[in-house]
Amino acid sequence: MSKMEKVVEEVIAGNVDGVTELTQELVDEGTKPSQIIKEGLVAGMDVVGGRFKKNEMFVPEVLISAKAMHGGMDIVKPLLTEGESSSAGTVIMATVEGDLHDIGKNLVAMMLEGAGFEVVDLGVDVTADEFVEAVKEHQPDIVGLSALLTTTMPAMEETLKSLEEAGIRDQVKVMVGGAPVSEGFANEIGADGYAADGSTATDIAREFVS
Amino acid sequence: MSKLYQGGLLNFFNQDQLEQVHQKTLDILREVGVKVENKEALNLFDEKGADVDFNEKLVKLPNALVEDAIDLAPSTVVLYGREEEHNLELGGKNVYLGTGGTAVNVLDLETGEKRKTTTKDVADIAKVVQKLDNIDFFVIPVFPDDAGKEKADEARFFSSLKNTTKHIMGGVYTAEGQKKVIDAAVGIAGSEQELKEKPFISFIASIMSPLTMEKDYTDYFMYAVRRGVPVVGGTAPIAGATSPISLPGTIAQTNAEALFMVVFSQLIEPGAKTLYGTVPTNMDMRTSNFRFGSIEMGMMNAACAELAQYYQIPIYNTAGVSDSKAIDIQSGYEKMANILMSGLTGTNYIHHAAGLIDSGMTAAYEQYVIDDQMIGMVKRVLRGLEFSEERIAYDDIKEVGPGGNFLTAGSTMKYMRTEFFDDQLYDDRDWDDWLKDGAPDARERAKDIVREILDQEDENLVDQELLTN
Repeated sequence: MSKMEKVVEEVIAGNVDGVTELTQELVDEGTKPSQIIKEGLVAGMDVVGGRFKKNEMFVPEVLISAKAMHGGMDIVKPLLTEGESSSAGTVIMATVEGDLHDIGKNLVAMMLEGAGFEVVDLGVDVTADEFVEAVKEHQPDIVGLSALLTTTMPAMEETLKSLEEAGIRDQVKVMVGGAPVSEGFANEIGADGYAADGSTATDIAREFVS
Repeated sequence: MSKLYQGGLLNFFNQDQLEQVHQKTLDILREVGVKVENKEALNLFDEKGADVDFNEKLVKLPNALVEDAIDLAPSTVVLYGREEEHNLELGGKNVYLGTGGTAVNVLDLETGEKRKTTTKDVADIAKVVQKLDNIDFFVIPVFPDDAGKEKADEARFFSSLKNTTKHIMGGVYTAEGQKKVIDAAVGIAGSEQELKEKPFISFIASIMSPLTMEKDYTDYFMYAVRRGVPVVGGTAPIAGATSPISLPGTIAQTNAEALFMVVFSQLIEPGAKTLYGTVPTNMDMRTSNFRFGSIEMGMMNAACAELAQYYQIPIYNTAGVSDSKAIDIQSGYEKMANILMSGLTGTNYIHHAAGLIDSGMTAAYEQYVIDDQMIGMVKRVLRGLEFSEERIAYDDIKEVGPGGNFLTAGSTMKYMRTEFFDDQLYDDRDWDDWLKDGAPDARERAKDIVREILDQEDENLVDQELLTN
């Protein structure tokens, strides 16, 4: 088995130390960072994603694999030349104003990271203005809004309005999620997508950036 | 050995009440007696010291004869599968659940319409049950209308043997058929002795309520014991019709009838492998309909496990038939309530636990899958909290702290595949996707699982030659 194949195996196994060591060795041997990402780290996560879809791997295992992949990413990312990107895209995520629930949002964030997205997690109880500021600062491809309470769902619409007013609505795709949220609601408030879970969110995010 | 689950979390009797039922049972067997319409059996009872009235064909048992048989009967009976993982260690509070018979109709998988059952249904249901991991054993569930009574025994047992390696039990319809079935089983086992040591088939030959042994069934019972094949002399009184309307009264009579068959087995062959077979039911007092899924039926069947534990004889009972004509809410609540109660009291061999609706007259393919789920849930309950210091997971609670999450905590990684019941019928789609896929309910999902199983190649689990000699 080549070292690259071993990276794939260790990502699947969720072995952070193994992935880190092998990645460093490949870098030292002169392998191109972009090749390590594509054929090793991301290739491993692609297998994980497939197994997750078939119910062979469970959520915690996917998260551990993602963690292992990031162990390798941390080494190769600084070595990328200008124009090369390690990330599939950037996503800003947060639970909207008035809502402190974050397990769902965190799960989605972790799944997106596992799929190679750069996630900027703004946390919970995030106001529309804070979203606007963050979009200006991070220039994301996607904004993800989460709400668990029916009483905080209107804050999603508020946020969309604020992005509109700030003139940056067209720069980003907005996806929404959370227990009371539905596809119908997403359409109503003018969001670009609705995801019921982390795996769907990942699929939608991939579509957005492709 | 099949994975072990134990009951004992639910009781209907206290110790005094168990003893009182026992005393009344002795009174019934000694003072009232059992009518035995079989000359050979009457002679045997007479010879072994029972009080026999040959004119009335009435057998009364002195207390000592009953007590001795209770001592002689094995406290543990292992019913074997043809693969070791399907072996059942019956006794104590061990719990196993399986199918039961004998339905004469089946809901056609594709049309949903009721039709008569055939030999192919015996084979197909066996094939489905072989793949349903929570169902522990196979009591032959349907009558093959195409074979008729004369060919029924071969059709039923051979079709079962070809399609499942789980333990196979069934009633028989003719003496010739019973002989053919045992001869074939001897061939599969290798010898008469090997079949005796590891019986992978067994029989049911019932006693009629109240207190009557019919001639043919008595013959089938004796023949099974003599050939060393385990046999249950089950009893199924109908409270309000063939036994007292009161639950304790029906239980006392059930106990007398079941023990009478235990005594009979031990008189034929001391140490014979038998089960204490109790299937108390009740009548619907408004219509005279027979109820096989009433809550009282569930209570009585579950309570009998405590008597079996008192006698230290393995028990065979019934739970999980529905009186509903449809696969619906009624079939759900009747089945779940009754199998859960019998599981909780620690019933060893709970049959009829899968596949049957319409008071046992009709089977349904998808119902086997649905009931496999319920049986799995009951087993999860029996596994209990598995309480331990480690499982309190204080270290993880401390490490995660306020506001964190347990998604990748040590205990999560260790238990994520085993702590929760593996629910195959649970729909994991969100509402919109579910709607797009035609909004299937549990029954539709179960049908898909049945189709997947039936589409697989037949495995032919037994050499055809062994069945044709």
